Amino acid sequence: MFVAGIDLGSATGKVVIMENDRVASTVVIRSTASPEKTAALAIEEAASKIGLKAVSDLEYIVGTGYGRSGVSFITENISEITCHAKGAHWLNPGIRTVIDVGGQDCKVISVNADGKVIEFAMNDKCAAGTGKFFEAMARTLDCSLDEFAALALRSGNPCSITKQCSVFAESEVITLINNGERQEDIAGGLIDSIVRRLLSMIYRVGAVPQVVLTGGCARNMALVKSLEVSLGIPVIRTKEDPQITGALGAALFAQAKALIQNK
Amino acid sequence: MNAQFKSTILQDFRKTAANPVNVSLQEWKKSGRKIIGCMYHYIPEEIITAAGMLPYRMKAVGSKGTELSESCFTQINCGFVRHLFDSGVRGELGFIDGLVSVNNCDHIRRFYENWQKKIKTPYMHFMPFPKKSGREQAEVYRKELADFKNSLEKHFNVQITDTKLKKAIELHNETRRLQRELYELRKKKNPPITGADVHAVMVASSSMPKEKYNTMLTGLLEELYTGEGISDYSERIMVVGGELDDPKFIEVIESQGCLVVADSLGYGYRAIAEDVDTDIEPLTALAEYHVLKRPACPRIFGTTFNRNDFVRHIAEEFKVDGVISVRLPLCDEWSFEQVNLIGYLKKHGIPHLTLDIDYILSSTGQIKTRSQAFLETISGTKHGR
Repeated sequence: MFVAGIDLGSATGKVVIMENDRVASTVVIRSTASPEKTAALAIEEAASKIGLKAVSDLEYIVGTGYGRSGVSFITENISEITCHAKGAHWLNPGIRTVIDVGGQDCKVISVNADGKVIEFAMNDKCAAGTGKFFEAMARTLDCSLDEFAALALRSGNPCSITKQCSVFAESEVITLINNGERQEDIAGGLIDSIVRRLLSMIYRVGAVPQVVLTGGCARNMALVKSLEVSLGIPVIRTKEDPQITGALGAALFAQAKALIQNK
Repeated sequence: MNAQFKSTILQDFRKTAANPVNVSLQEWKKSGRKIIGCMYHYIPEEIITAAGMLPYRMKAVGSKGTELSESCFTQINCGFVRHLFDSGVRGELGFIDGLVSVNNCDHIRRFYENWQKKIKTPYMHFMPFPKKSGREQAEVYRKELADFKNSLEKHFNVQITDTKLKKAIELHNETRRLQRELYELRKKKNPPITGADVHAVMVASSSMPKEKYNTMLTGLLEELYTGEGISDYSERIMVVGGELDDPKFIEVIESQGCLVVADSLGYGYRAIAEDVDTDIEPLTALAEYHVLKRPACPRIFGTTFNRNDFVRHIAEEFKVDGVISVRLPLCDEWSFEQVNLIGYLKKHGIPHLTLDIDYILSSTGQIKTRSQAFLETISGTKHGR
């Protein structure tokens, strides 16, 4: 029995296909202007990887992410907060705090021993502390997102950057460039400013170990390391790509729903 | 949601709530009678009714922006006063013949001063409202009410007798009684009306003649008693907050599958939980009602215990599974209240979510995500059922 979870984020669409409690296929693609199209493209690619004929071969599909409610072939939608908690818990049942830094928002989720959400905090409407912020700052530093993370990891003396608004932080970065600051230290300062932003949400919910970082930005090792230093506790690395955690949670819900349906 | 209504009463209430002006208001104005804008609650609308005028709770539903306000306010002022002032400058609230305000918060104080300077409504009156709830404060406010009554009489050349005041109090009490009857129906396992519709009914009461409103609400209640109940909902939710005059917000929450069955809102249960006393001198009764009797909002010092108790009492009485509290960004009074409520409700095992919402609802994606996640979190661990 194959089931799928689709996480339709603002920057990327993620699909996880599961077969009997095993991840059979995963895919991450750039989002298009239509969630329906992104979902169709992503699911087709994930299915073809394991020789399936896409939607018709899937027993149950759960959607999550900002585009979750507008896709015709999704059986049910579940919020990304619940899905990230479920996915992270499946990867490591000891996880109690999930920090999801996505393309347009970030969340801190407190999880119990059953993988259920106890409490959560979510950022406001602005792009502070999200992938969009990293993209804008990398553009200002004229580098790719990977180069941006590598630069920050080399920083020995991160600049102090106080603005967390993408637009105003950009002005602050331009001033630092003009003042002759090293690119590494500007990147390091930006990472620290985002971690401060995350900390304000983490303290609201509590940082109970074990802590995991999920979402696309979790691939940024400079962010992971800065967070570990600030929290004073290690951030767990999972065996699967942290970017697919939400889609994985959705697939796990799909699996449970399909089992109920087939009873 | 499957509530069906045969008549057009509910649609009329919805229309009234969704627009700054409505048919009843236009009819009132056409007949030569006056309308007095009331700035926020704690205004004794009964005095205006007794003067033969229509109390209109100021609102800026449908406002498109605040650009005309910006020169008069700073970045720390809330969206409510900015949108309202913008509507005022545009002339959209030009039907009011007077404006009466209390010093509810600093934003409203600045609003009143700016309105005085720029818009110049023919009659304006400002009443300092006590910061504390106590008998001494009620006596002080009674003097303010006497001043307000005298000033209305003088400016509009009317006479507000005790008999007229008593009659007005009875009329407004009748509105509150009918509204409480509406709330009683929400206690049912399958309430016959959605939370968004109830909110529209409540908001409509603030911009209609009370006689007409009471007749319409009586008609609606008759329909509701025989109507089908709503069963296709997941959780029962209570909404807590201050200024919320847009039923669309409740609609967005309910679009996630729950039913809003109770509230502690300025337009909601806090405004109707108690009646004004009819056995004592009318102005004293009105002052005591606003300062001592009605459930307070966080603006009034010394009421934290009662406020928390009120929320818990309503949550239990209406068998809610969770509480969503809302605040307009930059509202300091409700900011601290949210911190207070989180701790209090946590202590009593009542699930709670806080939301910041703009006065004019625009992007609803994040509200939906948070509400959906909250409902998913509380399903299975329902409180009080």
